[in-house]
Amino acid sequence: MRRRDFLMTAVVSGAAAGVGGPVFLRRAYAQNPIKIGLPTVLSGGNAQYGIQAKRASELFAKDIKGKGILGRPVEFIYEDTGADPATAVRKAQKLVEKDGVKFLTGTVLSSEALAVSAKCPEWKVILMSTINGAGALTAKSFNRYFFRINTSGPMGARAVSLYLAEGPMKRLFALGSDYAWGRDSVASFSAQIEAAKKEVVGKEYPPVGTKDFASYIAKVRQSKAEGVYLVLVGQDATIFLKQAHQFGLTKDVKPIMEIVELENMKAVGDAMEGTIGSSRYPFTVDTPKNHAFVKRFHDMHGVYPDMFDGETYEGLEWLAQVIGKAGTADDVEKVIEAWEDSSYEGLEGPFFMRKCDHQAVQPGFAVQAVKDPKYPHLIPKILATFPGDKVTPKCRTEDFS
Amino acid sequence: MALIVEQLLNALALAGLLFLVSAGLSLVFGILRVVNFAHGVFYMLGAYLGFTVVALTGWFWPALLIVPPVVGLVGALLESTTLRFIYRRLPIYQLLLTFGLALILEESIRVLYGPTAKGVDPPPLLQGAIPLGDIVYPRYRLFLVVLGLVVGAAVWLFLKRTRTGLVIRAVAQNAEMADCLGAGVARVRTLVFGAACALAGLGGVAAAPMTTAYLGMGIGVIVDAFVVVVIGGLGSIPGSMAGSLIVGAAQTWGAFYLPETAMVIMYAVMGAILIFRPWGLFGEEE
Amino acid sequence: MTHYRVLALAAVLALAMLPWVLARHQLSLLTDLLIFGLFALSLDLIMGYTGMVSFGHAAYFGLGAYGSALVLIHFGQPIPVALLAGALLAGVIAAPVGWFSTRATGIYFAMLTLAFAQLLYTVAYKWRDLTGGSDGIAGVPKTALFWGGPSLASPRAFYFVVAAAVVLSLVLCRALTRSPFGRALQAVRENERRFIALGRDPRPFKVVVFVIAAVFAGLAGALFAPFRGFASPEVMFWVLSGQGLMMVITGGIGTLVGPIVGAMVFILVQEILSSYTEHWMIFTGAIFVLMVVFLPGGLVGTARRLVSRA
Repeated sequence: MRRRDFLMTAVVSGAAAGVGGPVFLRRAYAQNPIKIGLPTVLSGGNAQYGIQAKRASELFAKDIKGKGILGRPVEFIYEDTGADPATAVRKAQKLVEKDGVKFLTGTVLSSEALAVSAKCPEWKVILMSTINGAGALTAKSFNRYFFRINTSGPMGARAVSLYLAEGPMKRLFALGSDYAWGRDSVASFSAQIEAAKKEVVGKEYPPVGTKDFASYIAKVRQSKAEGVYLVLVGQDATIFLKQAHQFGLTKDVKPIMEIVELENMKAVGDAMEGTIGSSRYPFTVDTPKNHAFVKRFHDMHGVYPDMFDGETYEGLEWLAQVIGKAGTADDVEKVIEAWEDSSYEGLEGPFFMRKCDHQAVQPGFAVQAVKDPKYPHLIPKILATFPGDKVTPKCRTEDFS
Repeated sequence: MALIVEQLLNALALAGLLFLVSAGLSLVFGILRVVNFAHGVFYMLGAYLGFTVVALTGWFWPALLIVPPVVGLVGALLESTTLRFIYRRLPIYQLLLTFGLALILEESIRVLYGPTAKGVDPPPLLQGAIPLGDIVYPRYRLFLVVLGLVVGAAVWLFLKRTRTGLVIRAVAQNAEMADCLGAGVARVRTLVFGAACALAGLGGVAAAPMTTAYLGMGIGVIVDAFVVVVIGGLGSIPGSMAGSLIVGAAQTWGAFYLPETAMVIMYAVMGAILIFRPWGLFGEEE
Repeated sequence: MTHYRVLALAAVLALAMLPWVLARHQLSLLTDLLIFGLFALSLDLIMGYTGMVSFGHAAYFGLGAYGSALVLIHFGQPIPVALLAGALLAGVIAAPVGWFSTRATGIYFAMLTLAFAQLLYTVAYKWRDLTGGSDGIAGVPKTALFWGGPSLASPRAFYFVVAAAVVLSLVLCRALTRSPFGRALQAVRENERRFIALGRDPRPFKVVVFVIAAVFAGLAGALFAPFRGFASPEVMFWVLSGQGLMMVITGGIGTLVGPIVGAMVFILVQEILSSYTEHWMIFTGAIFVLMVVFLPGGLVGTARRLVSRA
């Protein structure tokens, strides 16, 4: 009798303790807070992106303290997905079902965003992308609970192509990480650059996580390209730039990156000077609103805002604005309606939320990594700004023609 | 012609790096029969500590000398406090334990250094490139080739020619007997584990100027190391060398001539070798 | 033995009643845990009973997920059809893989299973037209129980499907390990040389159990796809294979029930800790280290030992 009881008690209490969850984690708020959930990446190799979503959220939380949205305080709940779609959906489900979150953001990998987005109609929550570039999210895999604030991959490729179309380079090599974003961007870029009468002399797709780019560097050199278009995941881009510099490749072949990140500049250092490309949010945008933001950000976090810091902050500010306009944070349908066809004055310039595919139309930037003694690392100097309607693809597509 | 030489050097440089990472793993598995999942994290620790030494002293060479013993010490400490108690168990238990250690170490590194990758520059002597036909070849990669050879020879000689090496090999063959003969098996095991971690740490310092020090570099290298060790045969230093050369060549030339296979070429080669020699090239039949 | 029977009955009753006791998200979590519990159970067949460590078991989970996802998305068949498709796909692929891999033993066998798994992962990753490539297949629906039958879209309904599948699998696997076939497997694990010396060939046994384990792993994957609504290459990656090994060890190798418990504990510990702190990896790592050192038989193994001593 005793043995049985012991085991039963152990099993049941173990299960109850495990499945019951930390109830006391809920903070006591005087009023009913508006909750924003971030199933993002806070550990492992991709943590540098999740950290940006978190930093921007923390600054935003500080900025609206006291005011709130619709008079209600805002609560941010962060979850670590470890850059795994299955975990992302699990965490998102926990945020929705346990914490009662109605607004999700901060997804890092496009595969995570696709998996979570597909569940949003069932959960009736909004997923706001501020990082994910995959074209499919506003094209093939679109659903109305998904909103994309950030410049997408195709838009970044477009900005670069527009800049290069007017430039002297004629022979270009394309190097994209072997997964959806890399392949799609290279395809999009090739189509556009060839339409501008330039030649793509080679395309290669190194696997994600490549440590040694020597063979690819040799191929680029062999092709006698004048520029190499890089669509590599953050760490791979850093490694490529470092090794290309060591091989002396960057003297003869100009690196052109679809996204020029501060993370790369900090890790690669001066070897990256002169690199051109597109930036989704360059912190050097010269408007009073942006300068004020950059100062607040630097005061709070001690670093300058990178691309996803800026885009996430813009998304949160816009979401707050839209909730205010809808008059409710609980009726998601009303928020969706208020968001569609709305405008917002962002840090980078004017934004417009297209109703047909929930892609935010926004300016595109061509930038160059330059040295500036005021800053501890290279900074993105803006070479050209393209108005939103020139860089945003046709509705629900990834095409520009 | 210059291209062929360049690709050959690329393969050798990569092989040198792989050898540094996998030699320790091979020893740990061959001698201690431990599946050390944390091996990659010691490699990463070496890279980050290398960054710190360079940042503090401004010199690279001291990092090569200081970091490996430090990493080895950390490894020895962990072994003597945790792994030591579970040698009698099935090897698979050690997998869970080393996995736990890997989690702790990796997160500790992230807490200490933050998520941004840390760049390390090669020392002035090894910067720049030497002319090779109509191209230039980075000096640092040539250094990696040399380093791999030197370390390999040193470890092999140590095991074959010194008294401690003899004791280690005795423990590998028959631990109980060696213990009866007064070999101090527990101490030997700690020494071997520590030395293996030191080698991994050395690999990390050597890799940092080429790949930067970044989170996830441990996970990124551990599978490569396992493949090298299995191809070469567990516990064999010449085997690790052969395995490194084969994998280095497969990845370098595969990326160039058969780019679509880049993700799997290493496994295909390993599979082919295991079909004909199921215990690796220099391994012993169990 | 009757103690275990009563306990088993109590567990089944608990499983049946839980949907009305638990909150919605807890039920989702439990369904998730059961699916991975089945995955770990299938791995225990080869690890615990035949002594074969596989580094590539996730591939069969993944094949099950993709098979089921494709059947559901393109043909809209009832769930049991999708489950069958997934499990069969996993079994069919496992046969040649098992045959080749069992040429080697020990760590070499494990590395061969890893090589094949990575090969399958690469195929899933690169065959974009069929598998969606690195993005995977999203929007996998939960369909019906049978043609024209009730929909399984509600969390409770799907939970019962999963729970039933897991309980059934456990019963089948238990029966398998007690059969003459199962005893032969254990003989192979205990002393392969003696097995051969007695004039029997271990290889067919190894291949057959490898395929059976793959079928159950495929079943788990086939449940996963409609539950989470997607299939992506990560579910075939070696990281999941490694986690499977951890789950089995945590629960107790060779206990069948142990790995199910182990999977639940393994996932729950990380789930709960990661909600508390950003540095959950340190605590998770420490827990594993302590568990291995102090609980040699895993959770269930240690529990059994305590019970028999009491």
